[in-house]
Amino acid sequence: MIRKELVAASAEPLILSLLSRGESYGYAIIQEVRARSEGKLQWTDGMLYPVLHRMEHRGLIKSRWGESETGRKRKYYSLKKDGKTAMAKHHEQWSLVHSVLAGLRKEQYV
Amino acid sequence: MFDLDHAISEWQRQMMAAGIKTPVPLEELEIHLREEIERQMRSGLDIQKAFEAATRQIGQARALRSEFGKNDVSIGARFVELTGIAWGVVAGLFSLWALFFLFTIHEVNWVGRMLGLVAIASTVLSWRYGYRVLPVIRHRQVRTLMGFAGCIVSILWMGTFVKLILPSLVVLPTKTDTSPAWLMVSFLWAWTVAATLASTAHGLKKVASRQDQPAVS
Repeated sequence: MIRKELVAASAEPLILSLLSRGESYGYAIIQEVRARSEGKLQWTDGMLYPVLHRMEHRGLIKSRWGESETGRKRKYYSLKKDGKTAMAKHHEQWSLVHSVLAGLRKEQYV
Repeated sequence: MFDLDHAISEWQRQMMAAGIKTPVPLEELEIHLREEIERQMRSGLDIQKAFEAATRQIGQARALRSEFGKNDVSIGARFVELTGIAWGVVAGLFSLWALFFLFTIHEVNWVGRMLGLVAIASTVLSWRYGYRVLPVIRHRQVRTLMGFAGCIVSILWMGTFVKLILPSLVVLPTKTDTSPAWLMVSFLWAWTVAATLASTAHGLKKVASRQDQPAVS
């Protein structure tokens, strides 16, 4: 299981990246993260919503109420321009961390 | 016999008792809860066990309230936000009117026009990009206090200008037709100072909010 601090830090880049593929809603975002991480990234479901609201307040994403194909009410979130910029910044920073770690790991096996 | 609607009503009551009282998060959480219950039932659980698993998965009311509480906006922060928006709207409309005034209605020499344009450009640039040069103040109360002070000073400054400085400019002997235009230029610069102060107050929040880290675990 991944540590809480890392899960928290990765929430925003993951949400932004998922929303860059198109609008989505809370439940689908959680299921997608769970599936892609094979259950290793465990979010407490309810905690996603304060994060989404905070990101919306910061102007990174926007929301609209809509309906699912079965008629269920849903709140859909999508990316705003500032969100795209924030996502690019996150990717850059996480790639840097990854490349440093990968480099250090490679040196250990040389 | 397990009554799902009754159980969800009870769960909502617990959420409200913990302090999640605004309708939007509660409605979103309920929609999420119902989807998770359906998923659990599809995987083979009976309705009661599915409900219990879904409520566990969604998290405890107090923890959720604490996380939603981080989004709450204080009265001071709201004041800074509203003053910022009001100043922005007034600055925009006033700048448009001033541009029209400077370039069409009255005869203004090129120095006046340039000074007016620089004032308008300064206002626009301070609003659009000013936050980028501001420091990140992590302490929310200190940030709000500084923003509040910025807004108050900007309001006091405009009051002082209109009440004390502008009348002294108006009574000056007017020998040429360009005097109203120079008054306009003075007013534009006074407004630039006020708008820059307000945009600084607004920008402090903007620059800090971009550094915030979320917590979902």
